[in-house]
Amino acid sequence: MKSPAPRLAALAGIVLVASGHVGSPDTYFEGAAGPYPVRVIVRSPGVVPGLAQITVRLLAAHTVRRVLVLPVYWDPRTAAPPPPDVADPVPGDATLYSAALWLMTGGSYSVQVTVEGEAGAGTTLVPVMAVATQRLELATPLGVALLGLGAFLVLGALSLVGAAVRESGLEPGATPDRRRTRRARIAMGVSTAVVAGALLGGRAWWNAVDAAYRSGLYRPPDATATVRMQGEGRVLRVAIDDTSWTSSRRQWTPLVPDHGHLMHLFLVRDSSLDGFAHLHPLPLDSTTFEAALPPLAAGRYRVYADIVHESGFAQTLVASVELGTPASTWRLSDPDDAWTSGTGKGETRNVSDLADGSAMVWERGDAPLVVDRDAPLRFAVRTADGKPAVLEPYMGMAGHAMIARQDGEVFVHLHPAGTISLAALETFVLRQPGDTVRGALGKRLRAMQTGMREPGAVGSGVVSFPYAFPKPGQYRIWVQVKRAGRILTGAFSTEVDAAPPPAP
Amino acid sequence: MTAAAIPSDRATPRVAILPWYVAATLVAATSAKVGIIWDISWHRSIGRDTFWTPAHMAIYLGGVLAGTACGWLALRTTFAASGQDRDASVRFWGFRAPLGAWVCVWGALAMITSGPFDNWWHNAYGLDVKVLSPPHVILALGLWAIQLGALFLVLSLQNRTVATPRLYGVLAAYMIAILLQNVATIGIEQIGFANLAHNALYYLVAAGAVPLLLVAAGRGVRLRWSATVAAAAYMAFSLVMIWVLQLFPATPKLAPVFNPVRHMVPPPFPLLLVPVGLAIDLVMQRVGPERDWRLSALLGAAFVAVFFVTQWFFAEFLLTPYARNFLFGVDQWDYSSRVGPWRYRFWRIDTNPVTPRSLLLAALVAVVSARVGLWWGNWMARLRR
Repeated sequence: MKSPAPRLAALAGIVLVASGHVGSPDTYFEGAAGPYPVRVIVRSPGVVPGLAQITVRLLAAHTVRRVLVLPVYWDPRTAAPPPPDVADPVPGDATLYSAALWLMTGGSYSVQVTVEGEAGAGTTLVPVMAVATQRLELATPLGVALLGLGAFLVLGALSLVGAAVRESGLEPGATPDRRRTRRARIAMGVSTAVVAGALLGGRAWWNAVDAAYRSGLYRPPDATATVRMQGEGRVLRVAIDDTSWTSSRRQWTPLVPDHGHLMHLFLVRDSSLDGFAHLHPLPLDSTTFEAALPPLAAGRYRVYADIVHESGFAQTLVASVELGTPASTWRLSDPDDAWTSGTGKGETRNVSDLADGSAMVWERGDAPLVVDRDAPLRFAVRTADGKPAVLEPYMGMAGHAMIARQDGEVFVHLHPAGTISLAALETFVLRQPGDTVRGALGKRLRAMQTGMREPGAVGSGVVSFPYAFPKPGQYRIWVQVKRAGRILTGAFSTEVDAAPPPAP
Repeated sequence: MTAAAIPSDRATPRVAILPWYVAATLVAATSAKVGIIWDISWHRSIGRDTFWTPAHMAIYLGGVLAGTACGWLALRTTFAASGQDRDASVRFWGFRAPLGAWVCVWGALAMITSGPFDNWWHNAYGLDVKVLSPPHVILALGLWAIQLGALFLVLSLQNRTVATPRLYGVLAAYMIAILLQNVATIGIEQIGFANLAHNALYYLVAAGAVPLLLVAAGRGVRLRWSATVAAAAYMAFSLVMIWVLQLFPATPKLAPVFNPVRHMVPPPFPLLLVPVGLAIDLVMQRVGPERDWRLSALLGAAFVAVFFVTQWFFAEFLLTPYARNFLFGVDQWDYSSRVGPWRYRFWRIDTNPVTPRSLLLAALVAVVSARVGLWWGNWMARLRR
């Protein structure tokens, strides 16, 4: 039986979630547009259609002529893409460019960022999910002002009717007699009823638009997590039980693997945020995924499951599960699975001891972390004797970072390339006109990922992630790297401050 | 007929003088209408806009010009006017100005109200997907008020003039033409495209809206052929917009672009209303004003007969290759249209075909529309202030 807690958690997720991640709707990307290393940030407008703000920062000294941005919504029937927009240089910052992106349709966009300069032209794609996530409230001052103007218009209209009936037909200079005055009053009375009816109709209309908009706000498909014993071990099952997923007229395109896995699942222990696991459940069928459960301590856990569709749309399913006493054995269902009890031993503000005796140092500096400002998420792994550790790629990446806010309102899965899903990026690069056939692109992508060469080892032992925290509060950060064939998880706790009010 | 009432000698110009504020409201009404047609073309050709597009500027100019001119007129009439000017005004919350000026001021205020409301609407529910939204309705009410205000100002001049100079009649007919343009704008999906002219709704919608305005012109505007002049002005306005807009190059700036347009997409070819206007004028010249119900019946029947015959066949012509040129400006579609054979077909003829019954219903609607037009025209003919 479903307990109310996961439902409540899911309900909370409805308003807080943003596709691809939870409560973190902006896109952060770091990569190279040809010869130009760039960091791209796309601020979500929260509405569709809407204007997203994109900034492009040049990360190396180059003479750049101009920066072009173009949001592409893929449709094979498209005649030609519209011309790209020239991003404006931001005054006072020679390496920063800014533009507005018109995201007109809900779904996955690939934003083309082109840099033209002394080293020629280079382009990169940035996957951006356009979904409506919020409904702006009507601020009280604006509401009062509109109400006042509205009242003025209504009273004015009624007075106009009165003046028209009373005087407008009179010869100049003549005074309205009692009959005209009475008729004017009757006309105003009738008009009052008409205007009241119109206002009521307008209210019903507005409410209908509002209800339709709210029902169209993005929420991830409903999912349920359960645990069962299998032999000596425990198995976690995630079932996507949303009707949009299970019905025969399914709206979603098939899933594609993201660095080799159809689902990346994260377990985060509720409230204390100590226990953490990063698992890769295997699909039993198109709605059910299972993974062997590591010996996490008993308690309630939040479940976040990242999936990517063939359309390039990435989303995070949200559920909750109660874990009992740990089982005695854990046989990994996937070699990339990893977990940590997160007891906090050997963890300070910026150092976290790793399981193989090495340590992870968060090179965060002394400045406090502030909402919406570039966070210094740079982590160095040192061997026991203090030398930089040689890191191996872990699922094609130098490292993975997971960030959770204590109350569960924010959960994000980062790579050195940012918040984007690499699988989404790959779908945009690979896509061809014939890919309207469902599943065709997924097959090619799978073949490509199988034959893909892993990137080389990270000799410096340093991984960094472009990101800015979306909300103030207490956060927990897990950073996963691979060394000598072993997956290591470092954990840090931190506080993020609200943005200071603008200077008067 | 009250329109024939002898005007007073007081406050009655004997020559056609166009006061500055009337000229200002006429320019304002024209500017706003040009702006609206331009803006629709902008959205069909370029797709994205800002607060500062020239089309928006033309709309704002309409509001600002009408609002300031009439606001100033109200202050002057209240505090510093001659007896004549004060006598030819109506009282509104203690102030005095002609009725048309107050309607214009109201319209400008409605436009101002719609601004921040529309801005919030975009931020709350997304950029415009639908033309029809509550803030846009308030904006439209404001624009209509400015157009009606300009019409009322001209009519009050016309009705106070002994010699009835033709200028006032022509300007009043022109304002009726602007109102007909509103009908064309709002009804673009029902009576806009020639492809619609073989379905029943087309005739029903036209029968509801067009007789009202043309019959009101016939009754309220002092010209021998007032409905015809209004109809001709309406068609001329559309044609000028069609010809001018096509001259401006345009590139779509919003994905997805299915139809790569190269110049501004013009509005649809106007309804062929001159024959209808002629019919209305002829009927009204032959049947006196004493029997308005009978007149309405005749006008309704005449409207449907003439409108049906002219539009049915003319629409067929507009779908032929002979009309696909600069002159007629047809077969030009939005950048977001997936163009196909539907361009040269009549739409909804299976689901909503024209039948004798549907034409009879349209005629009944046209009779009611004509009757309302006569009531309104009678009121317009009495307007003195």
